Amino acid sequence: MSRVIGIDLGTTNSCVAIIENAQPSVIPNAGGYKTTPSMFAVTQDGKRLVGHLAKRQAITNARNSVYASKRLIGRRFEDPEVQKCIELCPYGIVRGQNDDPRIEVGGKAFTCTEIASIILREMKRVAEEYLGEPVQEAVITVPAYFNDPQRQCTKDAGRIAGLEVLRIINEPTAAALAYGFGKKTDEKVAVYDLGGGTFDISILEMSQGVIEVLATAGNTFLGGEDFDRRVVNWLIQHFSESDSIDLRGDAMALQRLKDAAEKAKCDLSQREAVEINLPFIASDDSGPRHLSIELSRETLEGLVHDIVSDTLKTVERCLGDAGLGAKDVDQVILVGGQTRMPMVQQAVADYFGKRPHKGVNPDEVVAVGASIQGEALTSEDQNLLLLDVTPLSLGIATFGGHFAKLIERNTTVPVRKAHIFTTTRDNQTAVKIRVLQGESETAAENDLLGEFVLTGIRRAPKGEPEIEVSFDIDANGIVSVSARDLETGKEQSITVNATGTLDEGEIQQIIEEHELYEVQAKG
Amino acid sequence: MKASVTWEGQGIAMRLGNDGSGSGAERIPHLAPGCDPARLSLTPAEGYLLSRIDGITPLALLRQIAALPAADVDRCLERWAKEGVVVWDEAGRKAARTLSVPQGRATPAAPGIDPSLDFPVEMQHRVIEFEACLGKPYHEILGVAPEADAKTIKQAYFGLSKQFHPDRYFRRNLGPYAARVERIFKKVLEAYELLSDPATRPEVQRELTAEPSAPPAAAEAQAAPAGAAPPDAAAALRLRARLASLGRQHRAHGDRRRKAKGFFESGMAAFKKERWLEAAGSVRLAIAFDPHNESYRSAFSDVQRKAHEERARVLLKEADGAYELGDYKDALRHYEEALHYRAFDAELSHKTGRLAWKLGADLRKAKDYAMAACELAPENALYHRTLGQIYKAAGLTANAKRELQTALRLDPKDVESRQELKAL
Repeated sequence: MSRVIGIDLGTTNSCVAIIENAQPSVIPNAGGYKTTPSMFAVTQDGKRLVGHLAKRQAITNARNSVYASKRLIGRRFEDPEVQKCIELCPYGIVRGQNDDPRIEVGGKAFTCTEIASIILREMKRVAEEYLGEPVQEAVITVPAYFNDPQRQCTKDAGRIAGLEVLRIINEPTAAALAYGFGKKTDEKVAVYDLGGGTFDISILEMSQGVIEVLATAGNTFLGGEDFDRRVVNWLIQHFSESDSIDLRGDAMALQRLKDAAEKAKCDLSQREAVEINLPFIASDDSGPRHLSIELSRETLEGLVHDIVSDTLKTVERCLGDAGLGAKDVDQVILVGGQTRMPMVQQAVADYFGKRPHKGVNPDEVVAVGASIQGEALTSEDQNLLLLDVTPLSLGIATFGGHFAKLIERNTTVPVRKAHIFTTTRDNQTAVKIRVLQGESETAAENDLLGEFVLTGIRRAPKGEPEIEVSFDIDANGIVSVSARDLETGKEQSITVNATGTLDEGEIQQIIEEHELYEVQAKG
Repeated sequence: MKASVTWEGQGIAMRLGNDGSGSGAERIPHLAPGCDPARLSLTPAEGYLLSRIDGITPLALLRQIAALPAADVDRCLERWAKEGVVVWDEAGRKAARTLSVPQGRATPAAPGIDPSLDFPVEMQHRVIEFEACLGKPYHEILGVAPEADAKTIKQAYFGLSKQFHPDRYFRRNLGPYAARVERIFKKVLEAYELLSDPATRPEVQRELTAEPSAPPAAAEAQAAPAGAAPPDAAAALRLRARLASLGRQHRAHGDRRRKAKGFFESGMAAFKKERWLEAAGSVRLAIAFDPHNESYRSAFSDVQRKAHEERARVLLKEADGAYELGDYKDALRHYEEALHYRAFDAELSHKTGRLAWKLGADLRKAKDYAMAACELAPENALYHRTLGQIYKAAGLTANAKRELQTALRLDPKDVESRQELKAL
C-alpha cells in the first residue's frame, strides 16, 4: 500500500514528513537538509532548478529565480498584494489569460499553481528517494486564512505534481496535531505561526484524542520576509547616505541585500550584533563600492517592532473569537522560523504570561502534523480525530445589499445550517439566492460563489412565504446550498465547485507539458 | 436535504425485501422527464454515471459499472435527486412507505444491515438506533442530562465525534451509510453548538419544557418527496432558525463588548501615561460600544475630570500667550473656552470678564463672568469693583453703585473704587 506523506508547502521553505513505525519523521533531502527552499529557477541554458540548487544560483540569476510565489497563488492580478510583489520582486510578474499573476522566468510565463507543483514534485521526489518506493498521496498544509481559490490552486498543484491530495489542512492545525500526537491530556493550545510569508494564530482544544479548532485568524501578508525587507530598506538607505547610490533598481544587488538581510536576521537570534559585508555591491565613476555596516539586535528590533505588535492584535481578535482570555490558554506553540527571534518569543511570552512550549521544531512541526492527519485518515486504528473548521463565513445576499451569514467562519465541518427567509415584495413568486463567501456585512464586498433562482412561490403579501435556505458543507469542504419553499415543498439547489485560477483543460495541459519535460530531463 | 432524508428512509426500508447482500438492488433511478443534464456541472466520471441511467439499470449495478466508488455513486444520485434530474422508481417509493419502521437487530439479515460494507455491523446498528433519536431534544441526542454542565456536553460531543465524524471512515466503502453518518454528525454538532452557547441554551431549555414531544424521526422520514414539510417539522425549523439568530446576536453583542473592552483598556493605558485627552476619548468610545457597563461609566468621570483639567491648562497657556502678543480677541476666546472646564475658577472668571469689558465686547457676557467671579469669591473687593465698572459702562448706575460700595466695604483703601463712586 502506498504511503501518505505530509507536505508543508511554505513561502520560503518546504518540508515533507511521513509516519514510520507509528512515529512521525521528517524526511531529509539528498543534501541532508530537512527543509528545502521553495525556490524555482531557470538557468541561462534553460535548465530547471528547484530547492537548494535554485537558491544557490539565485544571486547570479536573480531575474530567473522565483521565491515566495506562495504569496501570489490563487490571487487576481489586480490584487494590491500582487501589485506589491511586482514592485519588490526581482523576477517578472505578468498578467495571465485568467487575470492571474504569472511569473516570467527563462522566457516562459509560469502560473503560480505550476510553480507550486514544481516544488511539490520536488518534495515528492525527496520522499520517494528516501522511501525507495513511489508516493501518490499527500496531505498538504496552507495558511489558515487561505480562501477557497487559494486552497483549490494548492490542490491543483498537487495534482499536477502527481499527488492525490487527500486533504488540505491549515498550518496551525497541523502544528497542534503534531503537538497533540500521543498525548492524552486535556488542553487548550495556542499556535502562533510566524513563517516566511504569513502569520497565523489558532486556538485549539484537545481532549480524548479529539482536536477541535476553536478559532483561527491571521494575515496572509505578514511574515519573516517583511522583517528581511525592513533590513533591506535600512541597508539601502544606509548605502545611499554613505555612497549616494540607490541600489533599488539593481536586481543583483537587491538579491544580495536580501540574502544578507536574512542571514543577519537569523544570526541576530544568537548574537547581539553582526557585521554585514557586501563587497562590490555597486560601482560608479570612482570605481567599485562596498557595503559594510554593523547591525545590532537592538537596531533590528527597532526596525520590526511594529510588525510584532501587529501580530499580537490578531492574537487578541482570535482569542475573542474563541471566547477565551490569554490566561485560559494552557500551552503556546511557536511555529515558523521567524519565531526563533528572541523579541518574538518574548512578546508572545509576555502576552500569554507563560513561556512557549519547547520541543517542537518550528520548521518541521507543520509537515509532521500533515503526515499525522494523513495517517489518521487512512490507517485502520485511529486514535486521533481532527475537527477542522471552515475558514471563511458563508451566506446569501439579502434585501438592501446585506450579507446574511448562515455558516460563520471557524464552524466545524461537516455542518448543515438552515435559516428561514421570506419575500420582500407583494406577490413575489421567485427569489434569487446568491451564495457568498467572506466577512463583510455588505454583500458586494464578498466573493460570489454561485447563484440560482427558486420559482413557483405562491402569490402572497410580502413577508408571508417561508423559504428555508440551507447550507451543507461535507467533510471534504464541498459546499451545497438549497432553497425550499416550506409551503409547496419546491426546492432548488446548487453544489458550489471551488475553482482555482486554472480550468481543467489548462491543468491537463500543464500535466502533459511536465511529463514531456521529465522525459527530456531524463533523456 | 429533506429529499435526501426521505430517500434514506426508503433506503432502510427497501432492503427489507431482499437477502441483505446487494443493498439497494431493487432501486432504479430514472432521468426526470424534461430535465436538461447539460446545465449540470459534472466531472467526466459523473457524466459517465449519468449516461448509464436508463430506467432499467438498478442502483446496485450502477455502483459496479461506474468509474466511481460506491459511496460517490450514492452521493451523485442523491444530489441529482435533489436537483430534480433523477427520480426513483415509483415501486420503490411505495415499499418505503409501508416498510419504513426499523425493526431493530433481529436476524443476520436485519433491515438495512449490510455485512459486505467496510463498516462494522455493530456501527450499522448504532446508526439505525441513532437515526431514531434525531428528532429528540438536543440533550438526548448528546446523551446527557438536561442540566449537564459545559464540560460534560463537550465530552459527549467529542465521544460522538469519534464515532460519527466522516473522517473516521475516510475512503471506506460505507455504501448508503456514508451520507447517514455525516447527517448524524451534523445533528450532533448542532446539538453541541446550541447547548454549549450560553445565548441559546436557555431557549433550548424553555422549548424543552414547553414542547415535550418533539417531532419523531419517523415523521421526518415519511415526508412525501415533493410535498410540504409536516407542520411540526416546519416548527422545528423555525425554532432552529430562531436559535441560530439568537446565537448570532449574542456573538454580535460579544463583539461590541470586546471592542468596548479594547477601547477601555487602551483608555486606561493612556490614563496611566497621563495622556488625559486620549484616555477620555477612548473611554467615551468604550461607553458607546457597551453603554450598560457601570465600571466604564464610573471610570469615565475620573478620566473626564483629568481630561478637562488638561484641556483647560492647554487653553490657558494659549490664552496667556495670545495676551502677551497683544492678540486680545484670541486670548478672550481661549479664556472663555477654558472657563467651560474651570467654572469653579474665580480668578479666571474675573480675568475673562475684565478682558471682555476692556475689549468693548459683549458687556452682558462681561457682566456674567464678573458676577460669577463675585459669587465664587464674595469677599474679593477687586471682583466687585470690576463688576461695578462693567455695570457703569453699561449705564446701570444703581447696580454699579452697589457693587462699588461693596468693594469699598471689603477694602476701604481701594482708591479706584472710591474715585469711580465719586464720578457716579
